[in-house]
Amino acid sequence: MQASRARLFKEYKEVQREKSADPDIQLICDDSNIFKWTALIKGPSETPYEGGVFQLAFAIPEQYPLLPPQVRFLTKIFHPNVHFKTGEICLDILKNAWSPAWTLQSVCRAIIALMAHPEADSPLNCDSGNLLRSGDIRGYRSMARMYTRLAAMPKKG
Amino acid sequence: MSKRTLCKFFAHGACLKGEYCEFSHDWKDPPNNICTFYQKGVCSYGSRCRYDHVKVSGNQTSVPSASAALRAHLGPIQTSNPSGFPLDGQAVISSLSKPAWTCNFPEEDSSSLSEYGPLHLPRSVQPSDLPICSFAAAGSCPYGEQCPHTHGDLCTICGKQCLHPYRPDEREEHIKLCQKNSKRLEALKHSQEIECSVCLDRVLSKPSVAERKFGLLSECDHPFCISCIRNWRSNSPASGMDVNSALRACPICRKLSYFVIPSVIWYASKEEKEEIIDSYKAKLRSIDCRYFDFGNGTCPFGTSCFYKHAYRDGRLEEVVLRHLDAEDGNTVIAKNIRLSDFLGRLHL
Repeated sequence: MQASRARLFKEYKEVQREKSADPDIQLICDDSNIFKWTALIKGPSETPYEGGVFQLAFAIPEQYPLLPPQVRFLTKIFHPNVHFKTGEICLDILKNAWSPAWTLQSVCRAIIALMAHPEADSPLNCDSGNLLRSGDIRGYRSMARMYTRLAAMPKKG
Repeated sequence: MSKRTLCKFFAHGACLKGEYCEFSHDWKDPPNNICTFYQKGVCSYGSRCRYDHVKVSGNQTSVPSASAALRAHLGPIQTSNPSGFPLDGQAVISSLSKPAWTCNFPEEDSSSLSEYGPLHLPRSVQPSDLPICSFAAAGSCPYGEQCPHTHGDLCTICGKQCLHPYRPDEREEHIKLCQKNSKRLEALKHSQEIECSVCLDRVLSKPSVAERKFGLLSECDHPFCISCIRNWRSNSPASGMDVNSALRACPICRKLSYFVIPSVIWYASKEEKEEIIDSYKAKLRSIDCRYFDFGNGTCPFGTSCFYKHAYRDGRLEEVVLRHLDAEDGNTVIAKNIRLSDFLGRLHL
């Protein structure tokens, strides 16, 4: 408990210190609970998610960093490795390949990388996975683009 | 006499005199726990004194201190106080409590005196037997040039006048020790800055002393606190993480390491790492394995165990490995074969 708090506090200070280090990631700690964080990440360029801002919710276990944080998308996203309804993310480093050397910042970076390189063979969103697996890249891209426009981009007017 | 009293400095691991010490460096010898102040009449600590308040019978010289022993040597030669040293009171004591043998020495040594001339000091008082000034050795001597004791030569490493001019062995030993210490200090300074990537703290700045240790991984060179890396490795596999690919791997480079070595300093070279690992293994080899339990138990680590596998009579365990052919054609090393293994596999 104490160790996780100390470590999160360190990460918090690091985030405050290097706010502008990575313009694609903005990590915000809950005002009253250091075990709850939210992050805003920008969709990577040259993907259907470009221009979108996606919100992530972090729930950090007390045994952190020995156990990985639980991360899910709050913003709706059409991606083979993200559950369409719950926002749950299928990413090995958040499950069995977690390492205590990862930080919240680096987890965000890994999620951005996952958005750019979807893994269609272990889908949480079968529709999206099937589109990719059947080679319908255009279909996948247009669906993903639509949901990015609908959910992740500021409404015009 | 004094050789049979345990050296106080030695007992604290800090005797600089080594084999030239007047006092015994053998743990079997009893320490002298008699209060010297009480012998002189007053001890300001009274009943709170940690030394024994007992009266020692007058003519026994069982209150040996370094200076008393020296005075016994020098007593007959330095009859007066040569350096204006504030010795008056002590000089009286030394003349009163002069041991019997010092009075007889002219007769005893008269032949040797005539042979070697007046320069040869009786009773083997050679320059190498005289201790050097301990004030100078500790930093500075308030008496400077007028000090009656020999001042040691300057050690260039520690900057103290602690090299005995007539004891080459001791000099060498001191220089060696000094070099080792300064090297260690340098490494320690270097280690201060190193951070653990699990807790993100500087390892040597952790709140409790027990935590201020590195955990070295055998196969890679990434630094962690001993507690962090051990906690990670002992994380339960039930959490979904694989033992070999995640838990026993380095959190940074994911290289698999089978053991962790605790160390207070971080190494700078491969040789230094080897040295740390070897000394750690040597230390463990001297400790009896609690699984082996002097032959009463079985150690799951077998021949790979770092601890000592010895029977009560001191005999080391002899391991004969049995090589068997496995079903797939490979050779396997068989552990002790037990009947229960076969019975357990029977499906009745």
